[in-house]
Amino acid sequence: MADSMLKLNNITMQFGGVIAVDDFSIVVKQNEIVAIIGPNGAGKTTAFNCVTGIYPPTSGQVFFENRLIVSNYPNKKMKALYAGGNKNFPKEKVCLTPDKITRLGMARTFQNIRLFKSQTVFENVLIATHLHQKCNLFSAVFRLNHQQEQAARKHAMDMLEVVGLLEVKDELATSLPYGQQRRLEIARALATKPKMLLLDEPAAGMNPQETAELAQFIRQIKERFRLTVLLIEHHMDLVMSISDRIYVLDFGRLIAHGTPEQVQDDPKVIAAYLGEDEE
Amino acid sequence: MKVFKIILSLLLAIIACLLIFFSINALDLSALLKEIVPLETMQQDAGLEKAVKRINDCLADGNQNRALRSLNRLLDDYPDKVHLDVQTKLDLFFYRNNKVMLTLGVYVLFFSAALAVSAFLKQQKHQTAVLVAILVASLYAGIYIVEDLVGVNSMLMTVLKKGAIYALLAVSMNLLNGFTGLFSLGQAGFMLVGAYTYAIFTIENTSRAQVYQYYQGGLVQFTLPTLVAILLAGLAAAFFAFLIGLPVLRLKSDYLAIATLGFAEIIRAVLQYDGLGRITNGSNLLRKFTTFNTALFPFAVSGICIALIALLIHSTYGRSFKAIRDDEVAAEAMGINLFVYKQLAFVISSFFAGIGGALLAMYQTTVQAAAFTSAMTYEILLIVVIGGMGSISGSILASFLFIASSEWWLRFLDNVTYIGTFKVPFFRSGFRMVVFSVIIMVVVLFYRKGIMGDKEFGLKSLMEPRKGGKRRG
Ligand SMILES: Nc1ncnc2c1ncn2[C@@H]1O[C@H](COP(=O)(O)OP(=O)(O)OP(=O)(O)O)[C@@H](O)[C@H]1O
Ligand SMILES: [Mg+2]
Repeated sequence: MADSMLKLNNITMQFGGVIAVDDFSIVVKQNEIVAIIGPNGAGKTTAFNCVTGIYPPTSGQVFFENRLIVSNYPNKKMKALYAGGNKNFPKEKVCLTPDKITRLGMARTFQNIRLFKSQTVFENVLIATHLHQKCNLFSAVFRLNHQQEQAARKHAMDMLEVVGLLEVKDELATSLPYGQQRRLEIARALATKPKMLLLDEPAAGMNPQETAELAQFIRQIKERFRLTVLLIEHHMDLVMSISDRIYVLDFGRLIAHGTPEQVQDDPKVIAAYLGEDEE
Repeated sequence: MKVFKIILSLLLAIIACLLIFFSINALDLSALLKEIVPLETMQQDAGLEKAVKRINDCLADGNQNRALRSLNRLLDDYPDKVHLDVQTKLDLFFYRNNKVMLTLGVYVLFFSAALAVSAFLKQQKHQTAVLVAILVASLYAGIYIVEDLVGVNSMLMTVLKKGAIYALLAVSMNLLNGFTGLFSLGQAGFMLVGAYTYAIFTIENTSRAQVYQYYQGGLVQFTLPTLVAILLAGLAAAFFAFLIGLPVLRLKSDYLAIATLGFAEIIRAVLQYDGLGRITNGSNLLRKFTTFNTALFPFAVSGICIALIALLIHSTYGRSFKAIRDDEVAAEAMGINLFVYKQLAFVISSFFAGIGGALLAMYQTTVQAAAFTSAMTYEILLIVVIGGMGSISGSILASFLFIASSEWWLRFLDNVTYIGTFKVPFFRSGFRMVVFSVIIMVVVLFYRKGIMGDKEFGLKSLMEPRKGGKRRG
């Protein structure tokens, strides 16, 4: 499994009485596009949040490039129960903060767009370049990091060009139409120079034509930046056209996974999701 | 354009040199006196001779003001005996306004140099830098001249001094509350730490026995240079902020307000505690420490500090602060370590609050912990809100307006006033604060985001009309 990029082992996330994600395991290989689908409230976003360190899962582990980044278990008494005869059950709790996980090379976008609202489009992307600026307070204040700063600005401009927002770079980020805001989120994520990109409903609020363009665009950036992509999406045509593999969640549980064709024909999926939704 | 600038700069340089030359030349009043009152005329009149002698005596004592006054009286008393031609009149003028003229000369020289430099610069950025340099020089030269004209202790200078100090306090609070989005209410506490640190280390050794009369002359028995003590004041405040931040800034942001408010109250009580009396002088005043006279000092220190804060805000660090303010979750997802950056903003803000506290101590000439109540924090918070959260120039503007109206412009409301025999109603002690509160309410109601919002009062907006559609909201 040398080329496994992201691995979730038995992730469970419980909010009080609600089990949002229940014993969820997936593997994403390098350079794949993998989708997580499922009806509303299935726990897709929650799974993303566990992976990116926003909340620690109730139990389970996450590996990124075979490195343990998140690991938790309920508590001491329950540990014996969970571990059973498993000698490899992790001893320590690990929970990297979101900024550390981003530093390792995993960037994400948000379902409910989270742009820096008082800042321009360009500044939004520029903030994300800070990861690659290594300078102390003194040199930052007295502008001794001039070259780095220039490089960062150039990089931010490049990212804006990639997503096609160069013309609106001085507009206020929140003044953009919905579709452009989502593209800006992607530009911002790309500016952290990630190896893996997590997209939470990138096509939400887009019309069919924009959605089709987005599919093309995701494939492009995947090739250009050699990315691995994990995405959550409700637009079935988008998911079916670009995903290598699909995981289907329902009420926090994995009910099916496989290639788009396999998933499409799975009766459980049709019952849980496709049957009651469109298609 | 270039030629025009160079010619103008040469002209100005000549004027400046003349100004400087004359003011240095006119320094010798006794020589001037010999010209004004020729020897023969003086010997004819005993009264005149006495008057001249008095002036020379004053000069020998080094008391220039008295000499000048005596000279004025002499000119009034013997208008027909004195010899005044254009040359001596000019010399006399330069002698009277020596400081002002010299400053003006140096300033004009600086201006012409800047003009010459700007004539050879191509880049817009460098042009702006020159413009900023000119503005700063104008500000300081202006203060120096005005101070000389109206007197160090006039109301105008008092307001300017206090306004400059409050500007620093407001900007440092804005760094945290406006730019980083952390709500802290500990400003008075950090100012107090700064003020006490400064005061304790700069009381003259000879006065310590007197100041610490109830505490055996105190424990600290050395005096630090002023600037070192000011720096130390900032560091002490920053240290306390660091300690508070360690546990609190890992929690949700709301706890910071409570923790800092608590800190401000506790430190106020602790510094008045009798057991620490040999250091803090208990609940007694600290006094006889180094203070300033001229408004240039607080303007210089505040100016440098505010410039540093402005540079910080426009650096990568400042961008991260603003990102945290706008959206913590997204900021974290961009790789910004929330705790580190919040702690940094908090410590830096407190550092400058400590320096502001030291300046305030110097301004007041005495400090007492009891005066640093949370009302002081609210006052500064009010200035920040009125000026606009997230606007440095707004905070500065609001500080001066706030201090000027509370200390000066509204003073008349406190005096019982008669127009003819009609006694103006409500005008009595305390009415000022009522009117003041109403004005503030009106400002806050009609300018929701403060005078400046989160925009800056920039050179660009002065020089070129704002481009439509950009940076709204
Ligand atoms: N912070 C939270 N506290 C309590 N419950 C939560 C929290 N976050 C999510 N939940 C619950 O967990 C469940 C899964 O939510 P989640 O947002 O992961 O769904 P989703 O699959 O992303 O749905 P959608 O397609 O609508 O985005 C929901 O029932 C939700 O109410
Ligand atoms: Mg979701």
